[in-house]
Amino acid sequence: MASVITLLYYALCVYIAAFLALGFARTRDWQKAALQLVVLLPFVLRVLRLK
Amino acid sequence: MTRLIFAKILAACLFLACLVGGGLEMRGLRTYKESLVKGPGVTGTGRLSDYLPALKGSWGDTNLYFLDSGKPGGTALILGGTHPNEPSSIVAAFVLVEQALPEAGKLIVIPHYNRSGSTATQPMGAYPQFISIKTGWGEQKFRMGDRLANPLDQWPDPEVYVHYPSRQMLSNVDMRNVNRTWPGRADGALAERIGAAAMELIRREKVDFVVDTHGAELLYPVTNCIVAPDQGASIAQLAALDLTATEFEVHVEPSPAKFRGVSHREIADHSEAVPFLLESPDPFLDQPTGPKTEALELDGKDEFLLAAARRGLLFTDYDEKGKSMEERAGRHISVSRQLAAQWSLFNPERIVAFSCPGYAEFVANGLGPYFRDPAAAPEGSVVLE
Amino acid sequence: MFTHVAILLAAMAAAFALAKLAKLSTELSILAMALVGALAAGQGIPLRHLAEGSVAYLDICLIFVTATLFMNVVKEAGGIDYLVRKVFIRFHKRRAVLLVILMLLMLIPGALTGAGSVSVLVVGGTVALVLRGLGLKDEHVAAMVFLLAGLSAVAPPVNIWAMITTAGTAIPYVGFELPLGIPVLALGLFVTFYYGMRGEARDLGSVLATMPEPPAGMRAWRVGAPFLLLAAFIAVPRIWPFALPTLGLPIGFAASGFLAWALSPRKIDILRLSRETMDQLLPLLGTCIIVGILLQVMTLNGVRGLLSLSIISLPTVAIFLLLPVAMPLSEGILTFGGAAVFGIPLIWTLNSIGLNPVPALSGLSLLWMLGDALPPTALIGRLTVQSTGYAGRYWSFVKSCWLPWLVITLTGTLMVVFSKQLGALVL
Repeated sequence: MASVITLLYYALCVYIAAFLALGFARTRDWQKAALQLVVLLPFVLRVLRLK
Repeated sequence: MTRLIFAKILAACLFLACLVGGGLEMRGLRTYKESLVKGPGVTGTGRLSDYLPALKGSWGDTNLYFLDSGKPGGTALILGGTHPNEPSSIVAAFVLVEQALPEAGKLIVIPHYNRSGSTATQPMGAYPQFISIKTGWGEQKFRMGDRLANPLDQWPDPEVYVHYPSRQMLSNVDMRNVNRTWPGRADGALAERIGAAAMELIRREKVDFVVDTHGAELLYPVTNCIVAPDQGASIAQLAALDLTATEFEVHVEPSPAKFRGVSHREIADHSEAVPFLLESPDPFLDQPTGPKTEALELDGKDEFLLAAARRGLLFTDYDEKGKSMEERAGRHISVSRQLAAQWSLFNPERIVAFSCPGYAEFVANGLGPYFRDPAAAPEGSVVLE
Repeated sequence: MFTHVAILLAAMAAAFALAKLAKLSTELSILAMALVGALAAGQGIPLRHLAEGSVAYLDICLIFVTATLFMNVVKEAGGIDYLVRKVFIRFHKRRAVLLVILMLLMLIPGALTGAGSVSVLVVGGTVALVLRGLGLKDEHVAAMVFLLAGLSAVAPPVNIWAMITTAGTAIPYVGFELPLGIPVLALGLFVTFYYGMRGEARDLGSVLATMPEPPAGMRAWRVGAPFLLLAAFIAVPRIWPFALPTLGLPIGFAASGFLAWALSPRKIDILRLSRETMDQLLPLLGTCIIVGILLQVMTLNGVRGLLSLSIISLPTVAIFLLLPVAMPLSEGILTFGGAAVFGIPLIWTLNSIGLNPVPALSGLSLLWMLGDALPPTALIGRLTVQSTGYAGRYWSFVKSCWLPWLVITLTGTLMVVFSKQLGALVL
């Protein structure tokens, strides 16, 4: 049960990361694009189990 | 448009650099194994999961070392690495395994009680990832970990941590603090399972007393001391008196009855064993210090703390000499030896005695001579921690 | 080392100012400040430290995303419109009762989660609509929502500032119920009636006419069920803490959001809504993550230590005098990081002169909460603007907080100064 919950959290991170990546690709504002990537970083680090 | 694409490419490069460069560096800590050479005192090894199979295969499982004198007596359990960001406790445990010779009764040593926590450093802590101690044969390298278990091994945290079984509320991150999860829960979160396994070890091995070694901030009132519950107060007092008269200042702090989850409280309340928690002053842990470098961890010299000491803000003596790893790790071993001696006076039928270099030897010779060279060690005696 | 670190601090401040001059956003200016802090310290671009610092507030970001998504689903389904109408029709003649209900609505989510932002995100918008219906001026609506959200974060049982500090000082997180609860309730009532009694109540018909119509199929149970589920996610782990594995708030919000989506009488495009939610939250998430990076760099180059030392080295009276300014500022710059940098050494210092850490920490929390309206991060202030639909100038609403701000500051500071005498509150 605990590992299912943990998996759900990873799935949540993937979901959020996908929207951030999409936002980065679509935006025409360079500051916003940079911020999207900064926010993306911790989510990807967690999904890849690096931190 | 060109500017936008250029900015996006630049941002993507920085992102990838942080992800790959930073990620690989962190992965390097997670997978690094320290070499430990079993000394002549080691008579057996085991795993914490031997006492709770639910730990098997997890990052909470860790090595145990048995140093059995073969002579009748009691059993002592010495925990290193409860908080892996207090590495003097891990260094002391390594030296015990490599150098200690049991003379009566039995010692059980766990160098990395919180192995999970030793595989990641603290976000916002800006710690070095490793510390290395110079020896005659090269360097003995240690992982520099976090106070808490790695979130890669226990996630998510609750909004508030409700301690088992007292139901006391503690900070949510303390659910990953193995010194807040005593006496543990066999079917709980990883840190709780570690506590449950250790309690089972204490019961099954008929452990008489437990020494849980730590480092503490110099701004923290509970430093330079032995924390003991009522059952161990006299033993701790006598050990402190003896050491203060002969080697270094150490005092006794009573274990607060209301503070749940900590080893010095829960082991006393949930087993026959008597727990002692040792705090040696570690400048690296304090908030008002300069950069958190390997040198600060090893020599404990810091100008900001010196200024704080001059203003009378610290709870222990502190000067230009700092608080070296030699002193801090040495204190743990000398206090443990002295606690065993006092324990044996009070419990002659459950004597525990061992020899091992400690404070005086480390201060005089440095730590280097007390680590064995893995390359020159007999076959089968090197363990990867 | 003192001079060297002081120069680094100055370089970081200059980098922030220059970045702002170059019209960089607040978030990117803080990032520039961190990068310059590392470069000036001779650390180059410390990739591992940037990555490690970014993860510090990951869990809080997950709460922000899931809570906002949940509320956006409820809003899109027409639940908020329905709820506001019902509350207003039922209580519009009993202003005082309505105000107390609104206050409790604001206090509960933050009290249970420790995050005032959750109060703003979950009920802030709804409360703002009702307050407008009561005839409050826009800046008073925003001020009231901000202050109550701040107080909700201070309220027991979960106070994150106190938890960070107690975890770092090895003081058990016990005995905070009264030292936190009494001032929060008293100040909450003060804030509520200070603003709430000002407006001219508009007549029911005209208010209802300005409110959007909920969709035809909307019923109380459709709005209530997701909130009940959320309440269960919050309550069950406290009532039966050992019956279930740790669930965490994000899953609670996600599940409740899913239920709200399933029960909605309108069809909701969840992918579009998720994209809009991420867009809406980007500055807030960016702030949290960049503050984590900033704190990591400040530790790496020693600036954190210097700031911490500067505070605790002051004479006690000077500490007391400085608290009303320094604590909110530390929160404004570092968000919860202020509790780690200043709270931990401060509590030890105050403890060593015989003050009781529990009321002292409770008082400090009251000061920290005010900082959530201050730049550069202005975490709850910005969320308040977003959730309440406040369209005026940011500083106008902050200025309209002046009297409650003063009262909260006085209360917080006096609680620290007289924490020894308030020891009787610690049960």
